[in-house]
Amino acid sequence: MAGDSPKKIFKMGLWDDNPVFKQIIGICSSLAVTNLMINSLIMGLGLIFVTALSSLTVSIIRQFTPKHIRMMVQVLIISVYVIIVDIFLKAYLPEMSKALGPYVGLIITNCIIMGRCEGYAQNNPPLPSFLDGIASGLGYTIVLLVIAFIRELFGFGTIFGYRVFGDWWTNWTIMVMPPAAFFILGVIVWWARSKESEEKKEGGAVN
Amino acid sequence: MKKSFSYPILFMVIITAFFTLILAYLNYATADVIALNEETELRRTLLYVFDMDLPSGDPKEIERIFNQYIEETEEKGIYVAKEGDQVIGYAFPVGGSALWGTVQGYAAVSADYSRLLGIDFTHHSETPGLGGRISEDWFKEQFRGLDLTEAEGGEYIIFRPAPRGNVDSIAGATQTSNSVVNFLNEDIFEFISKRGGGE
Repeated sequence: MAGDSPKKIFKMGLWDDNPVFKQIIGICSSLAVTNLMINSLIMGLGLIFVTALSSLTVSIIRQFTPKHIRMMVQVLIISVYVIIVDIFLKAYLPEMSKALGPYVGLIITNCIIMGRCEGYAQNNPPLPSFLDGIASGLGYTIVLLVIAFIRELFGFGTIFGYRVFGDWWTNWTIMVMPPAAFFILGVIVWWARSKESEEKKEGGAVN
Repeated sequence: MKKSFSYPILFMVIITAFFTLILAYLNYATADVIALNEETELRRTLLYVFDMDLPSGDPKEIERIFNQYIEETEEKGIYVAKEGDQVIGYAFPVGGSALWGTVQGYAAVSADYSRLLGIDFTHHSETPGLGGRISEDWFKEQFRGLDLTEAEGGEYIIFRPAPRGNVDSIAGATQTSNSVVNFLNEDIFEFISKRGGGE
C-alpha cells in the first residue's frame, strides 16, 4: 500500500470521516471541556499530539507486532503519550493542568485515538498514519472550539477570556452546564448530516 | 506472522521496558519543576489567606516573602504567620464535599482567634461559572476580617439575607455555597476549640 495523499487524509479527518459529527466518537470529552475556549484548545492540542504520535508509533512497529496482542501494544503506546502530555502540563502549564484536571488522564479513553490506531495506522505506512492522526485530531479540535465558542460567548460573555459583551449581558446559565454542549453538538451533527445528504443528492450515488 | 509462543511475550516485555524507561526519564527530569510549582502554589495560597501582598508571580519572590513571614508549626499542615516575634495568625486546612466533589483549601484566623483573616481554595471540581466562582476574588474577599467572637453554636458564617448574615452566596450555585459555608464553619469551630478551647 503506497498510502493516501495528504489532501485525501485531511479531507477525511476534517469532514468525510470527522470523528465527532460523522463517527460520533470522542463525545464524552466534547461535552466536558467545552465550557471555555482555552480548555478546548489545550485539550484539542493534547489529543492531536497523542493521536498523531500514537498512530506513528503503531505504524512503525506494525510489522513486528504479533496480531493477537496488537491492542495491548496500542494501549501501552497511547498511555505513554498521554502521560507525557500530563507531565508536560504539570511542569510547564500548571494553571492549565489544574483547569483540565482529570480530563488529561482521560485522553487515553478517547475512542478517536484507538480508532485511528486500529483503523488506519495498523495497515498504513508511518507518514500517512501520522498525518491521519493530525487530521482526526484537528477535526475533533475544530468541533470542540465551535461548541466552546458558543458556550463561552453566551455563558460568560467572553471569548478566550476577553470580554466581548458589556455589563448589560446576562450570562445564560444553561450554556455553562453540560447539557448546553449536548444541544449544540446535536445541532452540529444535524447540520453536518443534512449537508452530507445534500451532497449525495447533487453528486448522484456516492458511497 | 510469527506463530511462536515466546515471541509475543518477549515483544511485550521489550516494548514495555522501552516506554517505561522513557517515562521514567521524563518524570525524573521534570520532578523538580513540578515540585516547585506545587510548593509555589501552596505558598501563594497561604500568603493569600494571611492577606499579604504579592508583588509579583515570580516563584523566587513568593518564596522569599513566604520564608520571611510564614512557617509550618509542629502540627503538620498548620501554618503560623509572624511579623518579627508577634504572631499574626494561624492557617489550617479546610475542606469537605460540595456538589460535584471535594473542595480543599486553607483558612486563616487571627492570633487571638477573634477574626477570620481569609480563605482560599486549592482544589475543587465545581461547575465553572457557577459553583466554580467560589475561587473568584469577590467571593473570597467577603470572608476577610469576619468577627468570630459573637457567633453562636459555631455558626460564624451566615449567608445574607438571614439574620446576622455576613456573606453573600453565589446565585445559581446554592448547593456549592451551602456546602462551602458548612465545612468552613465546622473546620473553623474545630480548630478554635482545639487550640483555644480552654481559654
